[in-house]
Amino acid sequence: MSAVAAKPAAGSAMNPTAMAVGVVMFLILMGICFFVYPVGIMPLLLIVVGGVLIGFGVHFVPVGGAPAAMGQAPGIATGVAMLAAGGGLAGLFGGAWAAAAGQDPLVVVITGGIGGGLMMAITCMMVNFVYVFGMGIPAASGKVANDPITGDSQAEYKSQGTEGHGLPFVSFVGGVIGGLFAGAGGTLIYLELLEVYKAALPTVMQITAAQALPIAVSAAGMFAVGMFLVNAVLTAYNITGTIEGPHDPKFKRWPRSVVASAVASALCGLVAILIVAI
Amino acid sequence: MTVKVEVIEGGIPHNKIMIAGIVSTLVCLYLTYLNVLTSTEMFSFFGGFAVIAALIWGSHTIKVLCSYGIGTGVPSAGMIAFGSGVIAMLLATKFGIMAPMVAAVLAAIIGFILGYVSNNILNMKIPAMVQSLTEMAIVGALSLMGFAALMTGKFTFDALTTGQVTVLGMALMTHQQSFIGGCLIAVAFLLGAIAIQHPFNACLGPGWQQDRMLMLTAECGFLSMIVAAVMSFALISTGSAIISLIIAIIGWAYTYKEYMVLSKRDAAAWLDAKPIPEVEGH
Repeated sequence: MSAVAAKPAAGSAMNPTAMAVGVVMFLILMGICFFVYPVGIMPLLLIVVGGVLIGFGVHFVPVGGAPAAMGQAPGIATGVAMLAAGGGLAGLFGGAWAAAAGQDPLVVVITGGIGGGLMMAITCMMVNFVYVFGMGIPAASGKVANDPITGDSQAEYKSQGTEGHGLPFVSFVGGVIGGLFAGAGGTLIYLELLEVYKAALPTVMQITAAQALPIAVSAAGMFAVGMFLVNAVLTAYNITGTIEGPHDPKFKRWPRSVVASAVASALCGLVAILIVAI
Repeated sequence: MTVKVEVIEGGIPHNKIMIAGIVSTLVCLYLTYLNVLTSTEMFSFFGGFAVIAALIWGSHTIKVLCSYGIGTGVPSAGMIAFGSGVIAMLLATKFGIMAPMVAAVLAAIIGFILGYVSNNILNMKIPAMVQSLTEMAIVGALSLMGFAALMTGKFTFDALTTGQVTVLGMALMTHQQSFIGGCLIAVAFLLGAIAIQHPFNACLGPGWQQDRMLMLTAECGFLSMIVAAVMSFALISTGSAIISLIIAIIGWAYTYKEYMVLSKRDAAAWLDAKPIPEVEGH
């Protein structure tokens, strides 16, 4: 197939066959975990929940990409991978800090979510600051006539020839919600892997729990970062680069991303758990 | 989504780079096993060569994939390469001497499934997607293993999680001063992820030349190797670390010089600008 004839066009269409194959793959991966390392089935399920939270959450984040940097499209002027890494890893650090303080798992996950949401709130705030006072452009969405939350009309503020610019209120809120989900998801993955490693590494390596702790923390953190980036990039592929926020028509593509994130997280989580199982 | 904007004209075909990349990476990784056979750590620098060989292959894979205009930016490709690679690499270290082979196979499986997921479930429909993501996962896994071998001299799980610390002349076993326990792997991760995505990001465009991009990759690889060699002072003997460091600096200086020559060759016109002269009497 020649490259030009191929016409890669990621529309909003769903591919039901591939979705079914994805669900089957997910069940097979869970099954492998159940037979190889039965103790790991619950952590793996929660890891998948974490991965799906990341994949779903990234859809809320207003990713502008290069057009946003030139003030021709709304959103934060960078790619999904960078934004998700920033928001999610800030959440992960927050959650890891709470986990090290010996908090309840629920508190740890919520702390992670707040860390990610806070990071995104600061980013959105400063981005708008630069847009308005640095570049001299107002915030206006190109995808909707009125802001769904405040009801402000957008068309008067939108420059001709652009798809909107700046960060309208709904995109700001979307960014914070996305940060909350992604941070909580990343922390959940870290927490579950940490519990698995803390429980299993001392026996596997025949060392004391205190000796195993740095390895458990480091390996769980590294796996969480790896899984986070995989899920974030897959979501980036789903929204083909840019999205304005929850009001963007592209947001409706989220079911594809949920299936994709579930398969990817089950796969990566299984490999991560196998490290103590074999 | 746009159709493929660039085609590879002339230069070395991608399959040749791929085969050369995987063979030389695996050979270099196994050459670090000389450390175990000769009971030294002198051969750790082969890990750095493995990293560079893998990165050269990987940056060309990124060129193949990102020529289709995937719309997410070139850095995302580097991130997914190492994100999926680190997972395969950590499990593969459990397999002792088979680790590099297992890493390649396991990464290929992970990359293939991720490629299927993005091409079919996410409906990307890019012809090169499955193969590219498979290749990039292998590149990520093998580069991280190369960094591990460069910093610790070995690539097995026990060696990567166990270090030695000398207290009052006594050598004590510790797990904190190790590649994984000390989380040096996080630095290796980003050193590789940035080195793999930068060359195509910097060289893309109508004036793209294969030899210039690959030279830049080698330059980025040696630059990462310098940092990794400095970090290896903590884990391997000083003499061996100095060998790695000197090789990295020589390699970096050479590739940087070559890259400048190629850049000047491809530039329409260039001005050898001097620093602003300091005129006295102002």
